[in-house]
Amino acid sequence: MIDQDAVSGEQLRDGLEPDVYPVHEGRWQRLKHTDAWRSMFRHPQLDTPRGRALQGFSNVFLHVYPVKVPRRVLRLRYSWRLGFIATVLFWILVVTGVYLMFFYTPSVTSAYGDMQQLRTGIGFGQLVRNVHRWSAHLMVLVVVLHLVRVFFAGAYKKPREFNWVVGIALLAITLGFSFTGYLLPWDQLSYWAVTVGTNLVSYVPVFGGVLTDLLIGGPQIGQSTLQRFYALHVAVLPLALALMLMVHIWRVRKDGFAVRRGSDTGTVGSFAEGATEFSVDGATTDGAIVGGVAADHLESAGEPVSVMPAATAMALAKGDRVRLLGVVDRESVTAEERQTDDTVFAWPHLITRHVVVALGTIATVLALGVAFAAPLRDIANPNLTPEPAKAPWYFVGLQELLSRFDPLIAGIFVPAGVLTVLALLPYFDKNPATESKYRKVAISIFATILLVAVVLTVIGALFRGPGWKFVPPWQHSYLEM
Amino acid sequence: MGITRRYLLRTGWKIGGGMLALLAGWTSWELLRPLTVAGASGKMKLGSPANYKAGTATFVNQGRLWVSNADGHLFALSQKCPHLGCRVPFCESSGRFECPCHGSVFDIAGEWISGPSPRGMDQHPLTVENDVLIVDTSQKINGPDHGAVAFLTDSKGPACAGNG
Repeated sequence: MIDQDAVSGEQLRDGLEPDVYPVHEGRWQRLKHTDAWRSMFRHPQLDTPRGRALQGFSNVFLHVYPVKVPRRVLRLRYSWRLGFIATVLFWILVVTGVYLMFFYTPSVTSAYGDMQQLRTGIGFGQLVRNVHRWSAHLMVLVVVLHLVRVFFAGAYKKPREFNWVVGIALLAITLGFSFTGYLLPWDQLSYWAVTVGTNLVSYVPVFGGVLTDLLIGGPQIGQSTLQRFYALHVAVLPLALALMLMVHIWRVRKDGFAVRRGSDTGTVGSFAEGATEFSVDGATTDGAIVGGVAADHLESAGEPVSVMPAATAMALAKGDRVRLLGVVDRESVTAEERQTDDTVFAWPHLITRHVVVALGTIATVLALGVAFAAPLRDIANPNLTPEPAKAPWYFVGLQELLSRFDPLIAGIFVPAGVLTVLALLPYFDKNPATESKYRKVAISIFATILLVAVVLTVIGALFRGPGWKFVPPWQHSYLEM
Repeated sequence: MGITRRYLLRTGWKIGGGMLALLAGWTSWELLRPLTVAGASGKMKLGSPANYKAGTATFVNQGRLWVSNADGHLFALSQKCPHLGCRVPFCESSGRFECPCHGSVFDIAGEWISGPSPRGMDQHPLTVENDVLIVDTSQKINGPDHGAVAFLTDSKGPACAGNG
C-alpha cells in the first residue's frame, strides 16, 4: 500500500545507512548487530521503500523477484501461480528424492526389494515415496496447465518468445523425469510402461536404433537400462532442469513479471492519414476505442487501437465524437507513460502470497501421500506382459493414438510435430494482440489440439482394458498411476 | 588480403571447439553403446521336430521365442511384438497369438491378422541337423507383411485378450 510505504527522513536514512539504525534491546536484536550477522545479512529489515529495495538487491533469494510488481500480479487468478507451484513441486521432488536415494540401489536384483523395504521397514518410507510419486504426477499436470495458461494469456509473444521455448524444453525435461523415474521400482507396471516407451524410440527415422541402444544399453530392458535411467533421473535431468529453470526465471525477471496490458501505457499506436475522426463504440480500461466510421482507414483496420489514456477513454460516452489532432509514424511513438503508482513491493506482498501457495502445495501432496499409496505391482517379469500394459496417464493418450495409427506417425511425427509447432509458435504467430477476442484462429487451433489430447488421454486411461479393448470405467477401472 | 591474426584465432577456436565436441560425442558413444556380448544370441538346439505337434505353439524361455507348428510347417517366432515390444502370449482357446498391449492378433505362423502391429511376428531361422531342430537367435527375419495369409485359419474359439 502506498501509505504504508510512506517513510520519514529518519527511517530512510537508516535504510541507506544501516550502520546508524538504532540498537534494540534483547539477545536476538544484539545478535543481529554482530559483525558475523551483518556479514551475511547486510541490510536490516526496515519497513521502508528504500529498506525493502535494499533487501531485495542484496539477498540472492529475494533478488529472484523484481523489487516491485504490478498490483494485478497479486491476484490469484492472474496466473493461478502455476509456474511457482511447479517450482515448489520440483523442490519437493528433490528433497523426497534424496531421502529415497538413501534406501535404493539401482540393481535388478535389489530394486524391487528396496521398494518393499521402503513400504514396510523404514520409518515414513512409504509416505515419502507416496509424496514423491504424487508430486511427480502433479508436476506434469501443473506444467501442462502452466503452458495452457501462458498460451491463453498470450504471454508467449514478444518479448517472451525465447522463454516460451525454454518452457517447452522444461516440459520435455519434466516428462523425461517422470519416464526415467517410472522404471526405478522395477515392478510389472514400470517395466512394461518403459518397454512400450523405449520401443517407440526405435521408430525415429535414421537414428532410432542408435537412440534405443543408448537408452536401454542392451538387447532388452535390464540392468544397463535401470542404471542408465537412474543416472538420468538423479543427475543428468535434475542438472538440466535446474539450469533451464534458472534461465526461465531469469527471463521472467527480465521480460517482466506480467504481460503488459493497455492500462500500463498511455501512448501507443500509429494511424493512417485521413483517419482523423472516430465514433466511440465503447471504451475499456485498456484505453481502447473501437473504431466505427473510420475503422477502415486505420492501419490495423477492424481492431481496437489505443489512442488515449484509459482514464480519458473511460470518460467518453457511447456515440461521442473525438477528433484526432495529429498523426505520427509508428516508429516515432516511443514514449511510454507507465502508471508506476499501480505497482507494489514484491516483498512482502507477492512473496508472502508465494509462501502461502508453497505451504498449500506441500499440504496437498502430503494429504495425497497419506490418502493414496503409490502403486507397487509384482516384480518385473520380462516374459509376461500384464493385461493391460498401460503407459503413465500423461503418455496414455499417445498409447491410444498408437493403437490406431502407424507407430512412426502416432509415436514420432505427431508428438514431435506438436512439440515443434508449440516451440516455434511465437515466431510465426505475429499477431501482437494478447486479448483472446483478437486471437480467434490461434486459440481455436490450440484448443482443438488440447481437446484431442484430453479426449485421447481420457479414453486411454479410463476406457481401455485387456487387449486394449473398450471397457467403461463403471464396469472395471484400469487406470494406472 | 592475407590471413589476419584475428581471423586465425577465430577459426582456430571454431575448429578446436568442433573437434572437442566430436571427441566428446565419440567417447560418450563408445562408453554408452551396448556391448555385443550382452543378451542371448547364437544357435540353440530345440530337440526333435516331432516334439512340436501341428496346431501347437511351445515357448522356449532361453531364446524368448515360440516354436509353432502351422500345418506341418515349423516357425521360431520372436516373443516380442513388432509393434512396441510387448511379449505376445499364445491363446490356446483361439489358436492365435494375441498381444495384450494394443490388441494385435497373429495366426499360428505369426502372420498379422489385426491390430496396430506394422507386420507379422519376427522370426529366427530354423534348421534341422540330424533330426535336431536348431534355431539361430543371433539372426532375426522381419515378420511377413500385412496381407500374408498362407497359414491363416478360422479361430478355434474365443479370444483370450479382453476376456480375462
